[in-house]
Amino acid sequence: MSERIENLADRERHEDPEGAGAAYPAAAGSPAPAPEIHTTVRRSEHGAGVGPLEKVFELRSVNVSYGGTLAVADVSMDIYKNRITALIGPSGCGKSTLIRCLNRMNDLIPSASVSGQVIYHGQDLYASEVDPVEVRKRIGMVFQKPNPFPKSIKENVAFGPKILGLENIEERIERALKRAALWDEVKDRLDENAYGMSGGQQQRLCIARCLAVDPDVILMDEPCSALDPISTGRIEDLMLELKDSYSIVIVTHNMQQAARVSDRTAFLIVELDDAEARHGRLIEYDETERIFTNPADSRTEDYVSGKVG
Amino acid sequence: MEATTGSVERVAPGAVSLGATSRHLGERLIRYLLFAATAISVLTTLGILYALLSETIKFFSEVGLVSFITDAEWAPLFEPPQYGIWQLINGTFLITGIAILLAIPLGLGSAVYLSEYATPRARKWIKPVLEVLVGVPTIVFGYFALTFVTPTILQSFLGVDVQIFNALAASLVMAIMILPTIASISEDAMSAVPQGLREGAYGMGATKLQVSTRVVFPAALSGVVAAIVLGISRAIGETMIVLIAAGQQPNSGVDPKQPFETIAAFIAATGKGDIPTGSTEYKTIFAAGMTLFLLTLVFNAIAIRFVRKYRQVYE
Amino acid sequence: MSAGPNLPTASDAANASLSEGPRKERLKDGAFRIAMLSCLGIALITLITLVVQDAVKGVGSINLDFFTNYASSFPENAGIRAALLGTIWLMGVCALFIIPVGVASAIYLEEYADGDRWYNRFIEVNIQNLAAVPSIIYGILGLAFLVRGPLELGRTVLAGGLTLALLVLPVVIIAGREAIRAVPPSIREGSMALGATKWQTLWKQVLPAAIPGIATGVILALSRAIGETAPLILVGAPIFIAFDPTGLNSSFTVLPLQAFNWISQPQSEFKDLAAAAILVLLGLLLIMNAVAIWLRNRYQQRW
Repeated sequence: MSERIENLADRERHEDPEGAGAAYPAAAGSPAPAPEIHTTVRRSEHGAGVGPLEKVFELRSVNVSYGGTLAVADVSMDIYKNRITALIGPSGCGKSTLIRCLNRMNDLIPSASVSGQVIYHGQDLYASEVDPVEVRKRIGMVFQKPNPFPKSIKENVAFGPKILGLENIEERIERALKRAALWDEVKDRLDENAYGMSGGQQQRLCIARCLAVDPDVILMDEPCSALDPISTGRIEDLMLELKDSYSIVIVTHNMQQAARVSDRTAFLIVELDDAEARHGRLIEYDETERIFTNPADSRTEDYVSGKVG
Repeated sequence: MEATTGSVERVAPGAVSLGATSRHLGERLIRYLLFAATAISVLTTLGILYALLSETIKFFSEVGLVSFITDAEWAPLFEPPQYGIWQLINGTFLITGIAILLAIPLGLGSAVYLSEYATPRARKWIKPVLEVLVGVPTIVFGYFALTFVTPTILQSFLGVDVQIFNALAASLVMAIMILPTIASISEDAMSAVPQGLREGAYGMGATKLQVSTRVVFPAALSGVVAAIVLGISRAIGETMIVLIAAGQQPNSGVDPKQPFETIAAFIAATGKGDIPTGSTEYKTIFAAGMTLFLLTLVFNAIAIRFVRKYRQVYE
Repeated sequence: MSAGPNLPTASDAANASLSEGPRKERLKDGAFRIAMLSCLGIALITLITLVVQDAVKGVGSINLDFFTNYASSFPENAGIRAALLGTIWLMGVCALFIIPVGVASAIYLEEYADGDRWYNRFIEVNIQNLAAVPSIIYGILGLAFLVRGPLELGRTVLAGGLTLALLVLPVVIIAGREAIRAVPPSIREGSMALGATKWQTLWKQVLPAAIPGIATGVILALSRAIGETAPLILVGAPIFIAFDPTGLNSSFTVLPLQAFNWISQPQSEFKDLAAAAILVLLGLLLIMNAVAIWLRNRYQQRW
């Protein structure tokens, strides 16, 4: 299976030196070809995927185990700059585990062990001389349940820049809140406690907090699953805006969301090994359009058409 | 929208950033400092053990273990001095015994009421009030025993012929002191009994009396035993109530109307003055202390066993 | 479990009316309920009597002179000045010790210690054991190591404060651990994901969030320490202190010690003075507990 994915990616690069843009419907707003599945593949107005494809991450045979039990098996894939890459799959397929490898958050779990390589701009994040703290300064994360600090809105956004010793804190706060589409709502109450905000606002605050340190990549682990549909829509809009400046990887259990916002989608499943233990495996990874309209693997098709999962 | 500044430059993660090294050293230093602070609690135990053991051994080399156990009296200051620990143990167990005999029914009764009868609202303010009893300094109990229980309750009200200093007053007050311990832990154990067990019995037509005594109490038995043993442990180590109200006279008898001395009270009475380090009298403090420490250790260990047992059953 | 309850049979049920159980059962049940309530009642009544009796006996002696006089052989002239100041000094020394050491220990045990290692489990068990050791034993510890022995501080404020500190340290550690544990992991994750180190996360997010719980624990510990008499009998001053403590090296007395000394005097006037000293002590305790409750209500974080 992995070879197939590699070939697809290689083929893309050979056929599409200008970038993936050419493969997509040209005009924004024109409806996508009606898929068998009832999802709308939406393209952002903000320059969908222009520019040459540059790799941000190269995963090579990444395996993750917790206390000796395999959780994610042998994942190899490339993640591209200024794109939104979605990880989808049924519950337990290891998508959260996988995304946490990208910023070494799995280090926080004592029993976790990661083998293989996660190459970030040419350097293996799991090499022995790499400092996970430095990694996280460049690769930020937004969590499933909004987790603002029990402090004021301002202090939340200022925390990252302060501990990193960055300058112009006030400016950064305003910029980050504006980018997170939260500034207008909170500019007059920056000193209020973050816990007084609604769930959707809190999540946008967490995004602002992440943006304040100018990361390179933003990882989002089911960022909307605790939110109502309206807040979800706003954050999806936000993601499409942020794509220009950041590379985004998102885990979502909502495949329509993946279809709406992502450029590329990776589909994982749960596999049982001989000992009846479960682990996740990457089945297919391709442009989102292809995954949802014409997937190569029948398991992918079953999942995205709602037959399983 | 402008591109973020710095994201293009931020390509290679700080693979060999010098900052990382010094930060790691800083983090390790912090870890060692925190460990050192934690070690203080270990040093406290070691200090207690060392102090008690070293002086006790010296004591036994002077006085002899046989004498310690078999001498009829505890009279270190007499001529010839006697060092039989038995009188102090007698006093300790008499006072503790009477106190426990009273505290068990009162404590368990309170626990049953709180767990089976009291409304949640009542429980909410009664429990803190019981906790207040726990916070009362023991000197207050001692004062109460000497100036109220002995003259007013025992002598005047009940007409019991007690001496000014007597074990009975100390025991009664000590019972009140350990009652909250017994009540609180027993109530925890009883509340942990699953509601399903009760409902099964009520469903058969049992009365509250029957459910409390035949269903809840047996199910919570481990916790109740733990509570009682902990109460005993507290009573054995209690100093001030006895020191103030029971007099300071070692006593071989069992008549609580007389004065008695416990191990803890002896230690306090002796240690008050400035006894020269190295004298036999100084060492008696430690020998008595060792005895007391061992006694409470045994009872605490038993209590912990039972606590673990009752927690295991329902968790 | 025991054998089943002695229950009415089906024919009894058929014969008896539904609205009233057998009279005997109801009486027994009612009597039982009253008996259980009385147990609780006795405890509560005793507590009230305790306080009232002390207040009645002691309130007469409380006037301004009582606070400004030193102890004296003449009851009319005696006061708690030295004792009150000594109490404040000792609480200060105690707090200065238990706060850093207790919080540091709590942080280590909750955040750094690997729970599987034998020495960390040993430390945990040890702390629980220490909490159950009789307080007079701490007096022996203080006498052997602080007053005499290697440190040879003598019967001074420093020795007294440290003895009390060792006694109540487990309270702070246990409360501190609970407070730190209560801070949700999501806060730590959020901080680490921004590129903060473990210590930065602890110092700037976790600890500040845990402070109300820690403060409550410290006040609880000091409440316990303020009333302790037995250990200080071994470590504290001889009877007569008629001066203000001036430093860590001063001899000292504290409120409960002063009360104990007065109780030990045969004259009843001194016993009344003791009641007054106890009343002041109870007053201090009341204030401390009120502060603790206020702190908890005002700053408690609902996660």
